[in-house]
Order: sequence, then structure tokens, then C-alpha cells
Amino acid sequence: MSAIAIPHPPLAPKRGLSTWQTWGLILLAPYVLVFLVFVLYPVSYGLWLARHPESYKTLFEDPVFFTTVINTIFFLLVAVNLKFILALYLSGFFVHERRWIRWLSVIFIIPWAVPAIPTVYSIRFMLNPEWGVVNSLLFRWFQIDGPNWLTDPQLAMAMAMLVHIWKALPFWTLILMAGRLAIPKELYEAASVDGASAWQKFKYVTWPSMRTLYVTSTLLSLIWTLGDFNSVYLLTGGQPADKTHVLATLGIRYIRLDQLDHAMATIVVALPFVLPMVYFMMKRLSGDEQKTS
Amino acid sequence: MTSRKLLSEAKLWLVAIPVLLWTLIPIYHIFLFSISTKDSAFSGRLWPKQPTLHNFVTVFNQDHFYLHHFWSQIWNSLWIAVATGVITLAIATCAAFAISRLKVRGGRTVMNAALFTYFIPAAFLAVPMYKAMGTYGLLNSRWSLVLAMVTIASPYAIWVLKQASDKLPWELDEAARIDGATPAQLFRLVYLPLMVPSLVAIFTYALLLAWNEYLYAFLLLSHENTIPLAVGLGHFLSSDDSPWELLMATALIYGLPPAAIYYAFRRYMVGGLTSGAVKS
Amino acid sequence: MASVSFSQIQKSFGKTPVLHGISLDIADGEFMVLVGPSGCGKSTLLRMLAGLEDITAGSIAIDGRVVNELDSKDRDIAMVFQSYALYPHMTVRENMGFSLRLREEKRNLIEERVAAAAKILNLGPYLDRYPRELSGGQRQRVAMGRAIVRDPKVFLFDEPLSNLDAKLRVAMRSEIKALHQRLKTTTVYVTHDQVEAMTMADRIAVMNEGRIEQLGRPLELYDRPANLFVAQFIGSPAMNVFDGAVKGGAVEALGARWPASFSKSGGLEGQRVKYGVRPEHLEPASSGIAAEIVVVEPMGAETELVVKVGDTSLIVMTRGRSTAGPGDRIFLAPDPAHAHLFDAASGLRI
Repeated sequence: MSAIAIPHPPLAPKRGLSTWQTWGLILLAPYVLVFLVFVLYPVSYGLWLARHPESYKTLFEDPVFFTTVINTIFFLLVAVNLKFILALYLSGFFVHERRWIRWLSVIFIIPWAVPAIPTVYSIRFMLNPEWGVVNSLLFRWFQIDGPNWLTDPQLAMAMAMLVHIWKALPFWTLILMAGRLAIPKELYEAASVDGASAWQKFKYVTWPSMRTLYVTSTLLSLIWTLGDFNSVYLLTGGQPADKTHVLATLGIRYIRLDQLDHAMATIVVALPFVLPMVYFMMKRLSGDEQKTS
Repeated sequence: MTSRKLLSEAKLWLVAIPVLLWTLIPIYHIFLFSISTKDSAFSGRLWPKQPTLHNFVTVFNQDHFYLHHFWSQIWNSLWIAVATGVITLAIATCAAFAISRLKVRGGRTVMNAALFTYFIPAAFLAVPMYKAMGTYGLLNSRWSLVLAMVTIASPYAIWVLKQASDKLPWELDEAARIDGATPAQLFRLVYLPLMVPSLVAIFTYALLLAWNEYLYAFLLLSHENTIPLAVGLGHFLSSDDSPWELLMATALIYGLPPAAIYYAFRRYMVGGLTSGAVKS
Repeated sequence: MASVSFSQIQKSFGKTPVLHGISLDIADGEFMVLVGPSGCGKSTLLRMLAGLEDITAGSIAIDGRVVNELDSKDRDIAMVFQSYALYPHMTVRENMGFSLRLREEKRNLIEERVAAAAKILNLGPYLDRYPRELSGGQRQRVAMGRAIVRDPKVFLFDEPLSNLDAKLRVAMRSEIKALHQRLKTTTVYVTHDQVEAMTMADRIAVMNEGRIEQLGRPLELYDRPANLFVAQFIGSPAMNVFDGAVKGGAVEALGARWPASFSKSGGLEGQRVKYGVRPEHLEPASSGIAAEIVVVEPMGAETELVVKVGDTSLIVMTRGRSTAGPGDRIFLAPDPAHAHLFDAASGLRI
């Protein structure tokens, strides 16, 4: 090797990397600020407000709270599962390659794309026992008096679930559809050649590939459905007699009553269920990242 | 067509028709009432005897107690939606660039913080947010809703943009560095042009989120000069003898723009917004 | 134009060391090829020179100036990437002029330089196209054009041809070499393909596991590989290598005596060695070491034979055509002048 002695005059250190890091920090700062000011501080302050045991005592003694917890549990279990079974089924329908099915899928998305108020009000109006279209038609066609859809607490909760499903179903169908489309066609072709029935194809090809997505989506939807305020509030407003509240609307009700510590307490009660799921979801997404990077 | 094919086609229609009815009935119901007169509205017909646009005229002329502020409410809705879209886009793009392309230290932590916010149910965050906005003295200012919506929209926006950024080849940044680009030039001349489709999707997402929002709007804004149309619509139900035909006409006007925008940018939305979700 | 000097370069990713003190001087105007299997650290070394990787220890100098702390853009280098890394939203013209635009050069100067580079590379008709509208070879040329336009002190190539098909690769190989002869710019070229290295380089540095195994002119490496690694890495088909022991001025291996010429220092009686001989130095002869033909691969100008000596398969390359078929017995007469001996333990040349 040639050993030419080259003088190496030292240069004034100019850290290239740190300029880029500095820029990174500057660009990250706006979001960090938003997070600190509108998430971290409010949440910390809210938790501090909810520190008194008395808040929980009055909360647990409030009969409305007990009903609300029952309602919420039912709402989550029934609405989320029903929604996902439907979404799983419909995703299978919408992946058929037909021009008219593509058009139908475009229409199918509307409930998700439009705001909640108009459509929920429309449904609320349809269900009005005296002059709503549902009971009118029931009377005209079958000569029966329809039930009081929104003044019977149990029926009203069922209707709220229906509204929730109507609004959220398209989104989750879309997600599951993308999951189905990601399954290689060859697997189905191979299954066909092997003589698999439609149900067997679902059981041995579709479901194994979709299971993770289905479970993750269900969990995510479970968290979000807990925060679904519109479906219940706009349909029943918690009425009659505050018997159709869920935790989300109850929290807001306490705010309207100017009982902020109760509002926070309502939320804190749900945290033992929410936080593990949030943690799980965060782990999932972060874990995914490590795989891709 | 063979009979077997016919049968499978019929099975598809057997699913399609209920899906179509289920989706469209509540929407058609809005439309039906918005073109019916007050008297014929409750006849239970599927098409009014004398369809009319009179309800819309009433709405545009603000000719009813509930509609006195219609135009100002629409303006507020628009203002809030556009401001939310612009600010979310700016904040999220910068953050995604810093995390994904500049690999800034602490980027992962910030991403986790954002995801945490994304997963917390919106109605839960509303309570502490309401209190904080009061502390900041922002209640009843349109900014309170804009900032709240930015808080809600940015985490998902950052996540989606980061996913899209990660797909850009890393060599482009290296080539740009060797070509002499500063971080700002890399951002402006290379990153932004390549991210346009995702940026469109995110802007639309934030815009629609803010326009459609009801809960935060009615919590944070109650002064009649600042409320958006969503809250205005909510007021209709404060009494028993609501003018339903006017409510439905207003609701239709309120619901149309987001639907139109969604369909205009659907190309960007569907791919951009579901990609992040499917990966998990 | 500049010289490049690596001195005692070390690099670790986390706690994993990947380069163990590389020293290498590249002369002004030289075409230096870094070649080695994937993971040998050649690309890392190049990227450190480009300023894309931090230097863990040691120093890199361009034209006598240490550039360790210098940002890429201040090192006056240009790099051609394996994936070309063309900006997809810019035309060929904009891609090539981008670095000058960032330097805020005058518009007509940019035009002029881009036009000149386009002329050299025959890219004139494509200047207003986007990268997606170009073929692989054209993209490759644009990437080179982008480097030429800057008129840098050093060209860096990171496996620039590995995304091209075989025919195009050969064409681009001579194009790059012609370009270098024309511009005489110092070039550092990284590849895993020893044929590219042999055909293009002024000098080759063969790298393996973070070290330079041998540095030298292409034929030097071919004729006198310093160790077993270089011997087996350089040359295609690869050198035949098998175990043996020195005995009476020759090597006993595979149950036969293999002629060898020993230098004054090496070849102790009974020493365990690796005996190496290139396929073209194993021509069949009328007498010598008995072998059985397993496969005959005619290639036109020459014929490759896979033969068995004992249980070991060897490759034999003969000029012209062969009438032999599988199962035939032939004799091999290795040329002692072209036999390579390596110490069995250290792998070093004897």
C-alpha cells in the first residue's frame, strides 16, 4: 500500500447531524405543544379534579350511574359484535368484482361520510310514535299501533345501537374489505381446486388471514364506541328519565349540571377498562413499526 | 348465463337490496321532508303530492326563529373546518417529516403520545378539554373548537403521514443531502411534492372531522355568534313543536358539502386512510 | 480532482463493529473499486466518505483535508445510488440541475452544464421526461448525469449496475469506464461483482468482514492472490481449492501428487496446505492426474468440464471444443507456475 503522508489540517467542527436534529426538533415542536397544552395538561388536571373519594361515593349512589353502566356494557357487547359480524359478512359481499357492486359500495359509505346530526335526527323522527313514518306505516299496513320506540328505555337503547351500527358499519366494512383483498387470490384458487366449499374457504383461508385484523379492529372499535356520544345523545338525549345514558353522555350531562368532578369521576371509572386496551393497541402499532423499519 | 351463475347472481342481489335500503332510507327520509310542505310532511307518502323548494327558500332567507343565524352558522362551520384542516395539515406534516425522515430523537415517544390521544375515546377527552378551554379563556371563541379539533385530528394525521413517509425511498434524502439540500430545502423541494396525495387525504380528513363535529362544538361554543351549523341544528329540538321540514332542509344543506368533498377526494381518502389501519 | 485517504477507519452500529480500522489511499484520478461479499462493509465505507454515516474512529481526508465533521454537501462529492434515487417529481433536466439550483447558480450556467452532461451521456432527447418514463439504463445515465453536472472532486458509485439486466450491465460498465477516462475524476466504486471490479478498476480493494484482504491492480489480484479469500473471490469460475500436504517438492492431495513451485521461504515438508489452481490452468493432457468427467458444459469458445478426482469435484476449462462425454477418464496436468499454495491454518499465501 502506498503510504503517502497527507497532512490532515483539522477543521472547525461543524456537526452536520445536529443541524438536522435541530430542524427535527423545531418541526416536532408544534405538535408537542398541542399535546402538552390540550392533552397532557387537561388530562392531568382532570385526574386531579377526580381525586376525591366523595365524588365516587355520590356517583355510585346516583341511580342513574348504575343504569348507565349496565347500558354501556350492553351497548358495547351487542353493538360492537353485531357490527363486526355484519361488517365481516358484508366485506365478503363487497369484494365481488362487479361494476354495480362497486357503485353500491360508493353509496354504502354515505352514512360514514356525512355528519351525525342530520341522519340521527332523521331516524329519531322516523321513530316518533305519533307521526313518525315507521308507526304510520305499521298502522296502515298491519293496523297495529307501533311501540313507543324512544320512550321505552330498552327499545330506545336498542335503537341507539342501531343508529351506531348504521353509522359505523361502512368504515369497518371497508377496513375488513381491505383485509380480504390482501389475501392472495391463489389461496382461494388452490382451495377451489382442492374442492373446498364456500364455508370451508372462509374457515381455512379467509378467517386465519383476517383473525388478527378482526380482533384488533374489534378492540379499537370497542374503545371508540365507548366514546360514541352522538348515537345516544342525538337520538334520546338520555331520556326518558335519564334511563338511556351511556358513560359518554353521562359525563357530558354532569358537565351541563356543572359537576365537573363527577364528570371526571365517570370517566375515571372507565379507565381500568380503557387503558389496557389502549396500551395493547399502542403496542400493536409500535410493534408493527419495528417490523417494517 | 347458466342457471348456476344466475343463482349466484341472485344471491348477490339478495344481499344488495337490503343493504341499499338500510343505507338510503334515513337519507331519503331527510330529502323527502325537505321538499314537503309542512302539511303534507306527515302523510306517510313516499313522494309528496306537491314537491316544493319552499323550505330551502325559508332557510336561505333565515325566515324562522331557529334560522335567524343560518348564514353566520354556515360561515362559522366553514371557518372552523378550514382552519382545522390547514393547522392540522401543517402540524402533522412537520411532525411526520421530523419523525420519519429526520429521525429526530424522541420522535418515537411523540408518536406514542399521539397514538395514545388517538385511541382515547373522544367523548372522554371532551370533559378535561372543556375545563382546560375554560382555564385558557377560550370558551365561546371559535379558536377553542379549532384547537380541540386539531388536537383530535393530528394524531391520526401524523400516523398516516408517517406511514406514507416511511414508504419514500431513503436514498432520495441522501441524494438530496449530497446535492446540498438543507433540511428546509429537502422538506420543501423533495418531501412535500412527493407527499401531495397523502396531504390531500389528511386535509380532507381534518376538514370533514371539524365540519361534522357536534359534541365539542356544543360543549365549547354556545354564544350565538360563534356556534357552527351543527349546534344550530341541535337547537331545533329544544321545543316540542319543531319545524321538522325546515330542520330537514337545513340538515340536508349541512350534510351535502362533506358528502361532496368526500366523493371528490375519495381516490385519495380510501387508499390513504385505510392503509394505516390495515397494516395493524 | 482529488486524492482520498482513509486512515484507521472504524465503524460500529451500536455494539456491532463492522469496520476494523481501514486504511486506504486513493490517488488523484484513480478508479478504485471496493469489492467484497454483502456485509463486508464496503458500502458503509463509501457512505462514510459521502458523509451519510458517522465515523466511529479514524479520519477521512479528501485532497488532504479531513472531512469527518463536514456535512455531505460541503465535501464536494457526487454519488450514484443503486436505486438511482432520482427525484420522481422532477424532469431529467431538473434532476440533473438540482444540486446547482440548491447552490443558487445562475440559470444559464445550469442550462449549460446540464446540456453538456446530457450530451456526454446521450440524454438530450429525454431532458423533459420524468424518471418514470425512462428505461432502467436511461435512469442509470441520468443518475450519472446528476453527478457529472456538479463537477465534483470525487465520484462515488454504490452498486450502480446491480438493478440492470446482464446485457445492459456490460454496456454500462464500458460507458462508466469511458466516462472516467474522459473526465479523469477520482472515483470510488462499490460492487459485489468481481467481474465489474476486474474490468473497471485501476486498483481493487477486496474487502471481507470489515477488513481489506488485498489491495492491488486487477491482474495482480488474479495472478497472486494474497490469501485464500481473495483467491476464491476473484475469478469466474472460481479457483479449485482442496486440502493437501507438502511432500518432496510437491503437494499430496486427493490421492495424487500435484506439482508446485515453492518460493524460498515457504513449503516445509509435511506442512498442511490448501492447493489452489484456476480452471484454465488444469488442461487435460496425455498423462498426469487421473480424473473422471461428470458434466460437460460447452460454451462455444471454451468448454467447462466438471471432473472428479477421488471424491472431490473440480472444474476444468479447456479452449475450444471437447469430444469427451460424461464417464470418460482423462488426465490433468497442472502447471506448477500457476499453482497457488496457501497455509491451511492461516489461509495466507505461501
